[in-house]
Amino acid sequence: MDILVLILIVPFVFGAIMFMMPLHFKVLQNTHILLSVIVSAILLSAVRKVVEGNELSFFHHYLFLDSLGAIFLSLIAITGLLVNIYATTYMKWELEEGHISLQEVKNYFALSFIFTWTMSLSVICNNIAFMWAAIEATTLASVFLVAVKKDKKSTESGYKYIVLCSIGLAFALYATILLFSAGNGKVEGEAMLYTTLLAHAENIDGMALKLVFIFALIGFGTKAGLAPTHTWLPDVHAEGPAPTSALLSGVLLKCAMLGLIRYYAIVANGVGFDFVQTVMLVSATLTLFVASFFLIRQHNVKRMFAYHSIAHMGVIAFGLGVGGAIGLFAALFHCAAHSFTKALAFCSTGNIAKIYGTKDMTKMGGMIRIAPLTAVLFGIAICSLVGVPGFAIFVSEFLIFKAAAIEGQYLLMGVFALALAIIFIADFSHFFLATFGKVEGQVVHNEEMKLSENLPLIALAILIVSFGIWQFDSFTLLLNESVKTIMKQ
Amino acid sequence: MEHMIDIVTVLMMGTSLAVFGLRQYKLSILAYSLQTLLLVTVFLLLHVKYGAHELLIWSATAFVMKVVFVPLYLLRLVKKLGVVVEDEPVGGFFISPVVALSFSLAIAMMFYKVFMHFSLFQDDLPLFAASFIFMMGIFGFVLRNSFIKQILAYCLFENGIHLSLALMAYNSHELVEVGILTDAIFAVIIMSILAKRFHASYGSLDTSKAVNLRG
Repeated sequence: MDILVLILIVPFVFGAIMFMMPLHFKVLQNTHILLSVIVSAILLSAVRKVVEGNELSFFHHYLFLDSLGAIFLSLIAITGLLVNIYATTYMKWELEEGHISLQEVKNYFALSFIFTWTMSLSVICNNIAFMWAAIEATTLASVFLVAVKKDKKSTESGYKYIVLCSIGLAFALYATILLFSAGNGKVEGEAMLYTTLLAHAENIDGMALKLVFIFALIGFGTKAGLAPTHTWLPDVHAEGPAPTSALLSGVLLKCAMLGLIRYYAIVANGVGFDFVQTVMLVSATLTLFVASFFLIRQHNVKRMFAYHSIAHMGVIAFGLGVGGAIGLFAALFHCAAHSFTKALAFCSTGNIAKIYGTKDMTKMGGMIRIAPLTAVLFGIAICSLVGVPGFAIFVSEFLIFKAAAIEGQYLLMGVFALALAIIFIADFSHFFLATFGKVEGQVVHNEEMKLSENLPLIALAILIVSFGIWQFDSFTLLLNESVKTIMKQ
Repeated sequence: MEHMIDIVTVLMMGTSLAVFGLRQYKLSILAYSLQTLLLVTVFLLLHVKYGAHELLIWSATAFVMKVVFVPLYLLRLVKKLGVVVEDEPVGGFFISPVVALSFSLAIAMMFYKVFMHFSLFQDDLPLFAASFIFMMGIFGFVLRNSFIKQILAYCLFENGIHLSLALMAYNSHELVEVGILTDAIFAVIIMSILAKRFHASYGSLDTSKAVNLRG
């Protein structure tokens, strides 16, 4: 059976199986881990085929997997698996503390497969309307991963999430329709296919392409958390369970960004890179400064990381804005680096909330003595987020500086440095507040989590450091191939 | 035929104002159902005019899902919640339709000429109506506080998009329409579940009360 068909079917079927499982936590936990491993293995085997140089395509090329999609599919596979494993631990705690019922845990596990299915689908769609439908479906599939409980805050976060993302994505659908009609008759082949549109982008009307890109930026930018339509993100990421926040920030935002990157490639090759780069730079600068301004004021650890997600989407947009082969390489690398880092960051907030019973960092302190491993993992996430050398995010941020320097964009370098400096100061002050000194509030769980419970977090930390130090040939190959595809070289 | 399509699309614009402005949920939902019926009629008229057989299937699916299913589902929701009249919108009951109407007209005027350039069917009034209905939906989200009115606003802009799709991309693969329609139906169902939860938590459907997460 074609591997793309497996991607199309298996996670959905697993979601249905989870819905039918008996209400027994151990059974649910083990099944969830086993099925998550199988899904990730399928996704990674598809990625491997692309790395080996195979072209994957199915159903009249409506589904395909190119090097660009393979990067994002590997994020769904790796980050998704580790977060899903951690979710079983987190849900066990929630169950023990009576915050959630067993039925809700089962629903959560089942929906996480449906969510994985929709995200995978959005990555492998060559038909731009299917891709839009899949991205919209990611919102629908994840609403009840966010609004797990039925209380006021949970309901409010679910409401804001679906309403704001649906409005935003409506503009992306208009971009899709307009792109199809502008390309219809001007391109050889079906004008709904990304590969066809990219191959013949120069034949499509320039004015239409510019309008398409603005609509796509509003649409996919809303979903990706770019300012000024980012307002749903802090509420949703802060209110959902830690594993949901990790999945949303670590994987989902990247899927929306992939949608935008595909439009970026088509429009850039149609009207020239100057237009898309300028638009991305404006959006990125606004996003970076809005996020860093709000970041300073946050004391809720999850809200802080939520604003970080916005800031780092700004960094990716900045990489796309600076452009050139290095800028694009950096933006794509940042997608992976941020995925691992933010998954670790949000998962560590699960541990932290268990220790202190609160997300308010002013009521924490002394974490290094209470739970040294969690404190170290939290520290690794923070170090990577602020771009300390030796951690994954440093690589992409350094490359963005390099790309800007090569292009002689010194003003941009200054703007970027200023935004990163604000984030650096805000983060370390928060980190010290929570980790060192004396405990300001109460300690609910006065010991480190079990090693087995921390294993997914340790794996994420290893990935962050590894990507900061080593160059993985297969991953670099995917990045280089993707850059060539975007630049049509 | 030309005039028929124009008349029906003007009626669609009128019904979007009714969906937006009517205070009673029941009437508002019925206005939406009527609008979708008019949308189905436009599909049929376009099919006759241009011989676009794809629109025959579109009209059948739209009739079942949007003329029948969605309104019935929403009427059941309203009955279950025991709500009759919506909460006061931003700027009051009179001002918000005026604001929505004027801005939607202005924005639709701006965009429809661009769409005309690339549209498969060069019918100007339907293209204008599609943009107008879409914008009325967007303003519905912004200006109406009631959760149910916001679900209807979603349905409105979805109708605007559906009309645009028929005019600009009717010949795309049939699964495209199925995918978009499925998303829309699921969105309505999920928003309805959230509306029930919202009503249970807040004792009303007034979304302006949702301020617990600010910070």
